[in-house]
Amino acid sequence: MKKVVLSLVSVLFLVGILAGCVSGESSSDKKDSKESGSDDGISIAVVPKLVGIPYFNASETGAINAGEELGVDVEYTGPTQGDAAAQVKVIEDLISKNVDVLAVAPNDPASVEPVLKKAKDQGIHIMDWDTPANNVDVSVKQVDDEEFGRHLAKKLVEAMGTEEGEIAILTGGLSAANLNAWIDAATAELEENYPGIKIVTEKVPTDEKQQVAYQKTLDLIKSYPNLKGILAVSTPAPLGAAQAVQEEGLQDEISVVGSALPTDSAPFLEDGSLDTAVLWDPGKLGHLTVAIGKMLAEGEFPEDGQEIEGVGPITVLEDGKTVIMGPPQDFTAENAGDFDF
Amino acid sequence: MKLSKESLLGLIAVGTIILMSFIAPGFLSSNNIDNFLFQLPEFGLLALGMMVVIITGGIDLSITYTAALSGVGVALMLTNGQPILLAIVVGISFGLLCGAFNGFIVSKIGVSPILVTLGTMVLFEGIILAITKGQSISGFGETYNLIGNGYYMGLFPLSIIIFVFFIVLTAILLNKTNWGRSVYMLGNNEIATLFSGVKNSRVLMKVYLYAGLLAAISAIIMTSRYNSVKVDLGSSYMLQSVAAAVLGGTNIQGGYGKVMGTVYAVVIFQTISNGLNLLGVHRAIVDVFFGAVLILVLTVNFFSDKWKKNKETKAVA
Repeated sequence: MKKVVLSLVSVLFLVGILAGCVSGESSSDKKDSKESGSDDGISIAVVPKLVGIPYFNASETGAINAGEELGVDVEYTGPTQGDAAAQVKVIEDLISKNVDVLAVAPNDPASVEPVLKKAKDQGIHIMDWDTPANNVDVSVKQVDDEEFGRHLAKKLVEAMGTEEGEIAILTGGLSAANLNAWIDAATAELEENYPGIKIVTEKVPTDEKQQVAYQKTLDLIKSYPNLKGILAVSTPAPLGAAQAVQEEGLQDEISVVGSALPTDSAPFLEDGSLDTAVLWDPGKLGHLTVAIGKMLAEGEFPEDGQEIEGVGPITVLEDGKTVIMGPPQDFTAENAGDFDF
Repeated sequence: MKLSKESLLGLIAVGTIILMSFIAPGFLSSNNIDNFLFQLPEFGLLALGMMVVIITGGIDLSITYTAALSGVGVALMLTNGQPILLAIVVGISFGLLCGAFNGFIVSKIGVSPILVTLGTMVLFEGIILAITKGQSISGFGETYNLIGNGYYMGLFPLSIIIFVFFIVLTAILLNKTNWGRSVYMLGNNEIATLFSGVKNSRVLMKVYLYAGLLAAISAIIMTSRYNSVKVDLGSSYMLQSVAAAVLGGTNIQGGYGKVMGTVYAVVIFQTISNGLNLLGVHRAIVDVFFGAVLILVLTVNFFSDKWKKNKETKAVA
């Protein structure tokens, strides 16, 4: 008897679904888009990958300050975990708030694509920052990948104090597009200008984990006793490499240069186990994002070489929508203490 | 007048909705109501799955990775040009397989559920990582995307109808079938249940299968809504779904739990999250809010249970 009822309900459900057409558009056609709910000025929503980590806290400070300086309403909000589903919810709620500009650092570019399209359909200007998304009006990048990679290579040679010797390259993951671009640029720089430098092995993946980078570095030191330098990209990798160098007491023999946050690298920078950490200032990145967002809302577009107050001159690529913040920033034993990210 | 735990929670849900519509700008705009309905099902389905497991005194920590793995199954089929129906069938069978694996170890071998599912959580995560190498799989086509984004008859989101169907189905299964009764009995007293002629292991197996099924349905909605799947898809729902089940009155030690309670709890969570987002409250504060509400309700439940028990013992004396 119960089974009959149950299957009856299921059948009814299925028939119902099939009978009614399913469409992408609601029939109660709601085009209440953009009555610009906020009467006063421009509102810009900046969505990080997640909130509550030092890197994105620094960009929050930058974004909020920029909002105050430029007289725009800035809302900085994101998920508390780097989960794409949670991030999409935050974005959907922001669309409901009728913000003018939406700047997103996507956890997964593909998963925010539908929701960004929805935002665009409602007349919201969409942009990405920190990490590229698809089909945005403007894309704000922290550094030029080519320049960053070459800069890392130069810094490593500088730290080694010689233009000859063996080096190894550590990376966060073999498939991360930005890391690969940096490494390619760095190897190009070494090949072109420092022919005496020999890369001993293929780039070594470290799974974005400090512990793995540490272990792999120990292995490298054992396998290549003449190793003079290590180039490490992705933020945990240089720390792991430096930790290994520190433990083995090889600060003077092996130079480590990589992309890392200053507060994390300070203890390794002090005793020279990490020579230079190179990254960018996330605070400035937040500032720039808001400044560009304001321009978008006012119908302007950034120009190549334009001076942004509090950030400096920016570069705009030929496609007219990729903005690059500027040169990478070095963190050394002297200045690492001045930063709070 | 006597109110059950669930009706009280329903009133609280209505209360939060009324409160938010007064204080949160744009809460009642058609756009936001749409959002609300689209966001509810994926979380609600996971919470229902979690509730059924908790009623037996267990817990399923692997539920979001079960969902992610089914999502990967669907994604692989779709990106290789297989028809949607087949992809969905594969996705659901992935979910059922995960559930069966959990169910087998819990019911036949008898390891405690929290340990088993902690293990399978890592296991499923590893399998997904091995398949996807940490990358997302995306691009499932317009038709598939209608499941999570489309409207039924141009009025209601299709996903909410699927959710309502599973609410009804779960309620019928738990309250009107022998299996349902055994689930509650098992949660109350395993040994007594066994001695009253119930095959405990069979009941438990079905519980984990059902949780796997709901996780898979949730995964289908999520993958369709986000047009992509990644290893951590929906991972933020894991503890939230436990919280929703418990807030909904489900006894964490098993034996009690009502479908409507969990549904009300999901609505409350969703209302608070959505409303506070509209108010521009920092996300970390939203989490604090959830925590506070949860503790409050648990405390109230604890004392009301105790009070009831006291009264009963007095009545007996």
